Amino acid sequence: MLSKRLPTRLLLGLYALLVAGLPLAGLGYALLGSLGIVGPLATGFTARHWQVLGTDAGLLKAALFSLWIAGVSLALAVGLALALVLGAQATLRRRPFPTLLYVPLLMPSLVLGFYLFQLLSRAGWLSRLSFGLRLTRGVEGFPELVQDAAGAGIILAHVLLLFPFLTLLFQAIYQESRLPDYAQLAQTLGASLGQFRWRVALPVLLRRAAPTVLLSFIATLGAYDIPLLLGRPYPQMLSVYIATRLQRFDLRELPAAYLAGFLVAVGLLALILVLTRLTRRHAL
Amino acid sequence: MRFSSRSKLLATALVLLFALPFGLLVLLAVAPAWRFPAALPPTYSLGALRDLLAADSELLAGLGRSLLLASVVAVVATASGFWLARAVSRAARPARWEALSYLPYALPPVLLAVLIQPFIIRLHLSGSVGGVLLGLLLIAVPFATLLLRSFWTPQAREYEQLARTLGCTPQQALGRVLLPLAGPLLRTALFQTFLLSWFDFGLTNLLSVGKVRTLTVQVFTYVGEANAPLAAVASLLLLLPPALLLWANKNALLRKTE
Repeated sequence: MLSKRLPTRLLLGLYALLVAGLPLAGLGYALLGSLGIVGPLATGFTARHWQVLGTDAGLLKAALFSLWIAGVSLALAVGLALALVLGAQATLRRRPFPTLLYVPLLMPSLVLGFYLFQLLSRAGWLSRLSFGLRLTRGVEGFPELVQDAAGAGIILAHVLLLFPFLTLLFQAIYQESRLPDYAQLAQTLGASLGQFRWRVALPVLLRRAAPTVLLSFIATLGAYDIPLLLGRPYPQMLSVYIATRLQRFDLRELPAAYLAGFLVAVGLLALILVLTRLTRRHAL
Repeated sequence: MRFSSRSKLLATALVLLFALPFGLLVLLAVAPAWRFPAALPPTYSLGALRDLLAADSELLAGLGRSLLLASVVAVVATASGFWLARAVSRAARPARWEALSYLPYALPPVLLAVLIQPFIIRLHLSGSVGGVLLGLLLIAVPFATLLLRSFWTPQAREYEQLARTLGCTPQQALGRVLLPLAGPLLRTALFQTFLLSWFDFGLTNLLSVGKVRTLTVQVFTYVGEANAPLAAVASLLLLLPPALLLWANKNALLRKTE
């Protein structure tokens, strides 16, 4: 008995150390670093970096910008995926769709960012086509679609990443939940196809997909590769903001970077707790 | 007729949407000087591809580095995940261990890298393959554990016990019963954890401090240098293994969807 349990406990202990111990210890170190207690140039306890938060709105702007990007991207992607699954159900079951929707999953976000920059920038491919068709007069005539103030390029990139994945997810749930059978039953009982979609299919799909959609929201909130290529220096998304501050050569910036990292980590964990409880409550 | 035409229209639209990136990347790879307003490259050159085959090619080195790193992560994560999932299924409170496994996904990879970087530095792994490996495993091992958790049902354990009752050694029970049963899930875990590592840029870039130049890091470098041909070549190289893996697993995927 003892010999059997010992490896299991040791294995789980090492696992806990890796998965929880390392990040949480990092969180603690970031907190201490932001208070000046640890770090390369630590000089002892100080609340100076926390006080600066009152005047430096950079982190707050980054958080709001990230929420905007993640919210709009996810809303558009979910809407598009639902439209495909509910509006073109028979088509999705026919070739080439089962294979076709996997193709975008091959695209790393960094490559997608590079591609969209080449496609949508003012000197990009669409701009050249537009110039050739005499729709625009030159580089300055093409709208700013990447590195723009509202983050349109970033949003488009994430929609392109998310909607094939979400379509596959909703399609799997549609089949597993036997919604085609429910569709037949609803129509037999006199409901229209629209009523079935809004009152039966949509709630089932959204409730069962809620955990995955939540994870997609968090992943988009913390995006790094795409906003790094398609975003502006200001405002930045959260991951770009933190990484940029950490990678500066001035070591005196480290406590501010630690503070940003700590606050974002705590904020995200709190956000996940809130959203998780909301999804559970809604599911029940 | 209307339905059929709409179906074809949708298929055409999605095919174009998904194929355009590959087409544009190929054009960029063979276009040494392609500037506004030319809609197609004025000249074509295999210079970037020729550079790829040079003996001292940095791109080939990056490709090898990325393949090695992703393969090691996939194998270690899948093997660890298999046994960890078993340990979790036997634990007193499996649900808590599962919840713990989601912790790395609560935070963006870049933020995870920021948080663990001080310890990577103290372990003298900063700027080394080992540091990047540890960071990637932090994401990949929980993924594999959660995925393989579904294998360790009471039924699987009964199969194992039945094999032992019929005279198998633990090694035989593993090799002849458990691994064949878990085969599809193990393959999926290998596939997914490979891609997790292969696609990563932010965490690798931060922990390597520019010294572990994987393919993603090189794509970013070439983009920053405005070297579109080499960035395109690196991007196409980045797409190759996932495409091969998808093709190799095509039957499995189609069976699931059908």
